[in-house]
Amino acid sequence: MTQHHPDSFSLMEYSAGNLTEPHALCIRLHLDQCSHCRSRVDMLDSLGAIMMEQQPQVSVADTTFDSILARIDEGPGPDQVEAQQRRSVGPLQKLLGNDLDSLPWKRQLGDVSVLDISDRFPGQTEQVVLQKLTAGGKAPTHTHRGEETTIVLQGAFADNKGIFNQWDFVVLNQQDEHKPIALEGDDCITLSVLSAPVKLTGTFTRLLNPFIR
Amino acid sequence: MMQTNSMQATAKERPVSTLEHTSARSEGRKDQWSQMLVKVGKSQDRQAYHALFQHFAPQLKYYAMANGLASHAEELVQEVFVSIWRRSCLYDWRKAAASTWIFTIARNQRIDMLRKMQRTSAEMPIETEDLWQIPGDNENEPVTSLHRLMSERRIRESLKHLPEEQTTVIAKVYMENKSHQMVANELNIPLGTVKSRVRLALNKLKVILQDQNP
Repeated sequence: MTQHHPDSFSLMEYSAGNLTEPHALCIRLHLDQCSHCRSRVDMLDSLGAIMMEQQPQVSVADTTFDSILARIDEGPGPDQVEAQQRRSVGPLQKLLGNDLDSLPWKRQLGDVSVLDISDRFPGQTEQVVLQKLTAGGKAPTHTHRGEETTIVLQGAFADNKGIFNQWDFVVLNQQDEHKPIALEGDDCITLSVLSAPVKLTGTFTRLLNPFIR
Repeated sequence: MMQTNSMQATAKERPVSTLEHTSARSEGRKDQWSQMLVKVGKSQDRQAYHALFQHFAPQLKYYAMANGLASHAEELVQEVFVSIWRRSCLYDWRKAAASTWIFTIARNQRIDMLRKMQRTSAEMPIETEDLWQIPGDNENEPVTSLHRLMSERRIRESLKHLPEEQTTVIAKVYMENKSHQMVANELNIPLGTVKSRVRLALNKLKVILQDQNP
């Protein structure tokens, strides 16, 4: 069971559809495993619907409904099977396939490997990175530049703030200095989104992740 | 007066909660739009579909215009309604009111439209719905109709009593696609003030169940 959840502001922006794709992905992955936050989002979705209903209304063109009828007559009807099939593959599998270990990881310092997947989100300015800390491995002490949203995809790590298990959600910023240690068992793999686009220069590239900075 | 009302409400709701699993009772608690949407899903009822259109299309058109899609507002209304038709068989009134379900479809279609304007589909490995969920899509979710209906009623009621500065902020987030930071910039107030208005509002609406870092 997840212990660390997104805050209400992030969930509200998710519900309103205002988050960037990488941020929405982090929230979605957490929601898929956390019924507590799903029920919070359900309520926020209701709030959105009620806000929409209380705004002014704008009349639609007379022909609009006929155009819609023409389209539903042409197109596929309500098709449960298709809709279910579409849902059977999760967003993470679509992005990364089934085996996180076989990804082209780049070994960095000691126990840490990284993989930049920003190019899977065309048009987004954020940096999106996967990180792997070997089971039982340690990352050096580091702080964070800008705001960094992280979700644990596999394994678990511990730092001065507690233990972060699979699907736990954590946001770190400049004030947070920590020294994560992966728990024994599985390698710890996280997905991180760096809000502030940081200018990368040469050797500093490798210092841009929650494990090492 | 307020006191009496709330006591009456409590008295009315209490016996219902013990009968949650009685289907006859449950049927009676569907709002009219949810009933119509169920009819569309079950029997492709075009009369019900048209009634939904008449009620929701003007809201959706405003939503599109407020969200910067003024020149595509009619198009968004069409996309949303075609999507409502095709997905209606997945709609479960126990998991979301029709208004909530339609709001999330509108949100997704808006996002989808903007994504497609910005890039080609070949460049999009994940679809909008992989990221933004429509309520009820998760089949493993337990049915919580009573809880849902109570919280909807509560949100609708409490929203009337919120100070305007709080509803303004929430409306900008939901209707104008603005982040909390953008709202702060626009109203020329600190981000912390925006967040505290949202927090106060959500507390009153009892939407916050638990926050890690309040």
